[in-house]
Amino acid sequence: MNRLTGQLGDLGWRVFALLTAAFMAVPLVLVVLFSFNQSALTSLPLTGFTLDWYRKLFSLGAFWPALWNSLIVAGFVAILSVAVGTMAAMVLARMASRRAEVLIGIISIPMMLPALIIGVAMMSCFVRLIDLPLGLPTVILGHLVIAQPFVILIVFSRLATFDWAVVDSARDLGASPLHAFMTVTLPIIRPTIIGAALIALSISLDDFVITFFTIGAGNTLPTLVWGMVRTSLDPTINAIATLLILLSVGSTFLALRVSSYRG
Amino acid sequence: MLKRPAWGHQNWLLMPAALIFLGAFAAPLLYFLVISFWSVRARIMRADFTLKNYVATWSDYYDAMGGTLLIALAIGALTTLLALSFAYAIRFKCGRFETPLLFLALITLFGGYLVKIYAWKSILGREGILNQFLLWTGTIDQPLDALLYSVNAVVITLTYFLLPFAILPIYGNLRAIRPATIEAARDLGAGRWAVLRDIVIPQCEKGIVIAFTFAFLITAGDYVTPRFVGGGAAMMGHFIELQFSLGFNWPMGSAMAFTVMAVSLALVMIFRGLLRRGLQP
Repeated sequence: MNRLTGQLGDLGWRVFALLTAAFMAVPLVLVVLFSFNQSALTSLPLTGFTLDWYRKLFSLGAFWPALWNSLIVAGFVAILSVAVGTMAAMVLARMASRRAEVLIGIISIPMMLPALIIGVAMMSCFVRLIDLPLGLPTVILGHLVIAQPFVILIVFSRLATFDWAVVDSARDLGASPLHAFMTVTLPIIRPTIIGAALIALSISLDDFVITFFTIGAGNTLPTLVWGMVRTSLDPTINAIATLLILLSVGSTFLALRVSSYRG
Repeated sequence: MLKRPAWGHQNWLLMPAALIFLGAFAAPLLYFLVISFWSVRARIMRADFTLKNYVATWSDYYDAMGGTLLIALAIGALTTLLALSFAYAIRFKCGRFETPLLFLALITLFGGYLVKIYAWKSILGREGILNQFLLWTGTIDQPLDALLYSVNAVVITLTYFLLPFAILPIYGNLRAIRPATIEAARDLGAGRWAVLRDIVIPQCEKGIVIAFTFAFLITAGDYVTPRFVGGGAAMMGHFIELQFSLGFNWPMGSAMAFTVMAVSLALVMIFRGLLRRGLQP
């Protein structure tokens, strides 16, 4: 009897896990599905396969500059945040763990704050205090603030199991710090670094709020989507949303694959 | 023997990250705090020291503030509970499906904030899938308008968005518990509830606090979701954003933002204290 209730309980947990997984996956799947659907309404039944919404999107004048801006910003954010974040993680990993924990806690504050507050604070400071013109560089700066904690956390947790003796012996044998890093440390942690770069890439591609306040004029893909959702409701939005999902989910997927990061 | 320092013993390597944090985050936030004490005359911001923006935040927006905190509490609790249950289920009850299910949660992490809101807008709409499904099953005979543009829609959409972020820290903590520990406790006569209270939850206390704090603060400061799917659900984020896009009253917007964050942090601290007290044996 007890055994039976135990088995039923396990089954219940499994059903719950599957339902939750479905809850997480289905909305995104629907967005993708409707981007290929002929009907202009995003409702069932599916009426047939078409690429018209993509044609319409690609012929949209605002689409290509937005795509370029997104890719430029995300590219810079990925490279810069990985450079900066890896350097910081190297120091933190060799610090007393209590001190490192406090510093990581501080540098992770932007992760926990609503993007609205980061966005308007940056915007008002740049515009009023230091008179910095808004544009892609300020967007990149804004994204670095939210991407670098992720990079630091990922590289830091990889370095927790790193054997520092190999680097120390390279140094004792006369390698410069940079040389030791390039020839010893980097090859060992390369998958983690590539993974962190891809996570930073998808954070940047995904961000709307900070971009909205710091870009001044022009669009990235998310700000273009914002404009489109406000004005129309046709599957062109599904097409651009599918591209965004492809870019950000795709790079997260790759990141998990190369770094074999598990929680 | 002479020990030559390698990279990692050189603290200057922290400088670039620290500069980004201080220059692009901490300094702007500090300036933003300063202007919350300024005043606006004829749409021009003037350096000043006044508390009237804070007073106006409470007198003009107390109902939005109350509503926002209630919604944030509901979403924080729901998200944390779902995340804890999901993390527990995949860690201990799903065997070899643990990795694929975790993978699914992780790849939806950055699946597009706006895309996710848009997805729910089309699911919950009058012509949306949910209404169609309910009509088809005969549960209702008229499409429901109230699915979209309601507090429920805000709760569903934000919980959906926050869930993967909440799963991650809790699951990270649960990985430290081996299934054998739980079996041992059960064999020694511990009930299900005792196992949960004395082994599982203490182990992931940190993850639970992070998940709840994250969900609470992000909800308290969100304006895109209430605007897209919330309709009448007037939340503080919405009013804060208006001070910048329409009102040009930055000091007011700043005072509102800091008030919401301060009150939210206080509530999160209370939650943390309650959780800690509840876990004491």
